[in-house]
Amino acid sequence: MHPPLSLIFFFLTAGTSIGSFIFMYSLELLSLFGKGEGLPDEVIYKLGVFQVVLMGLGAFGASFHLGHKLRAWKAIKRFRTSWLSREAVFSGAYGFTLVLYLLMKFTDAGPIPEHIFGVSTLILGILSGFSTAMIYASNKFVLEWNTSITVIYYLLMYLMLGSSLMAYASHLYGLPYLGSFLFLTFLFVALGLGFRIAFNVRQFYIKRPTLNEALNLPHNRPIRVLDTGSTTDNFCTTEFYYKKGKELISTVLPIAYLFTFVVPLFLVVYSWITGVVNHWTLGITFLSVLFGSALERWCFFVEGNHVQNLFYGLYPEEGYRLRKGYMERKETRISLYG
Amino acid sequence: MPQYALVIDLNTCVGCHACATNCKEWNTQAAFGPLSDFDPYGAEPSGVWYNRIFTYETGEFPDVQVFHLPKSCLHCQDAPCVPVCPTGASYKREQDGIVLVNYDDCIGCKLCAWSCPYGCREYDEADKVMKKCTLCIDRIYDETLPPEQRKPACVLTCPAKARFFGDIEDPNSEVYKAIKERNGFVLFPDMGTNPANHYLPRTETKVNLEEFEKHILRPDNPLFLEVMKRHHVSHKAEEKQTEEVG
Repeated sequence: MHPPLSLIFFFLTAGTSIGSFIFMYSLELLSLFGKGEGLPDEVIYKLGVFQVVLMGLGAFGASFHLGHKLRAWKAIKRFRTSWLSREAVFSGAYGFTLVLYLLMKFTDAGPIPEHIFGVSTLILGILSGFSTAMIYASNKFVLEWNTSITVIYYLLMYLMLGSSLMAYASHLYGLPYLGSFLFLTFLFVALGLGFRIAFNVRQFYIKRPTLNEALNLPHNRPIRVLDTGSTTDNFCTTEFYYKKGKELISTVLPIAYLFTFVVPLFLVVYSWITGVVNHWTLGITFLSVLFGSALERWCFFVEGNHVQNLFYGLYPEEGYRLRKGYMERKETRISLYG
Repeated sequence: MPQYALVIDLNTCVGCHACATNCKEWNTQAAFGPLSDFDPYGAEPSGVWYNRIFTYETGEFPDVQVFHLPKSCLHCQDAPCVPVCPTGASYKREQDGIVLVNYDDCIGCKLCAWSCPYGCREYDEADKVMKKCTLCIDRIYDETLPPEQRKPACVLTCPAKARFFGDIEDPNSEVYKAIKERNGFVLFPDMGTNPANHYLPRTETKVNLEEFEKHILRPDNPLFLEVMKRHHVSHKAEEKQTEEVG
């Protein structure tokens, strides 16, 4: 699949905004039950405005993925069936309730309205992330994405971005939660690493369809694409098959792993062991997760193979698998370019 | 419930691209057009097509067969492109089962194309909306046209008469009978989309050569002398080959 840069940008901004809000508001919520002291109002305002701006930028950036940006509001119409519609509704509602929460806080409206909007924002933020992840995970024609790992991992990345940013904010504003956020960063980055490895390992075991299945032909009949009807690329071959990406993926994926997981884990463990905690270690941890996540999302798109590529001979070459138990194993080589 | 669809006979399709060309010609100036082109006379021409023709080869050399597969929107009965559309621009008509896109509501998010396992939806970079085969809905209901002309452009133009159009749910229709009698099949049956467009499989054509020879070797056949001459030449060549081997 061709990676849309606007969607990667949306992931980074929405992920940082929602991820950091989850932790920021969780501290407030815990203080309500007498656990911890919450956050100073000044920090909440600064972080809150930052989160609103990020979400706004993300929504603006994501609109570049659309053909008709001014019609984007219509995306709320199919909430009942479309995950994209749900994402649009939840993301918009998240931004709206976040602004209201900050207003309640700023105007000292009292704990009840403040926490009503706080809890609403928290739930809407999580639902927004979940809906975005489900757009990919529910697509049964891109088998690499069609798994619950996609959803869990997507939400973990939000938490990775949020916890690493909150660790930096804790140091910046001298908050007493630095140790907790270092631990949470370690936890979510380690979990993220585990799920990303699972996502990659799973790709070796996917039962991929073959061209024979696409054309409804007997499984043991060799078949070859001779011509795809046009001399140049078309929408289907550029949208669903990113040739340059396929060439670069083997280089970019290790770099994505390095920046998303290895560098942050190393810096967090280094900070723990040596006790050296400064702007550099925490700042680089967050930026490394941010940069690595951008690369990781790029890889996520490029790794996805749409089944329509079978018709063009662009689907990964696959040995025939025993699907129904009675057919012999047959290597079917599918290649457009010989 | 009626379900209009195309039935394509792979036995007679010769892969001439006339259906794709006439589709483009009709639809680019009709109600659901234009089908934009980019750099049409340059080195890298591209554009929107509702219908594309693929050519495949099956078997192992020397026993190979080539067949052509025209592929346009299959108007699936469980169309996966419809529920994912966030605006409702993509919809399936109840009265005839045709899947259409309302260009006024389409925001060009391309999610419907992601949800089509057949790659039958194309994004128009000029109009910024998703476009697809409409089964020439502006022709088939046009009462100003004579009844025999109320068919999709691709069906009317096919020189091999390999394309049929009609209601696949109507037992009296030509397409229903063709599917039933000739084992019509669909693409990607495992995907759960229940496509409406069907294909008629290739069948081996048996020719009774004895009858054929009897006919062609009749002296009143205007090509009789030509046939005899060729037969004589090939016979000579065969004899020569046998001598060389001997």
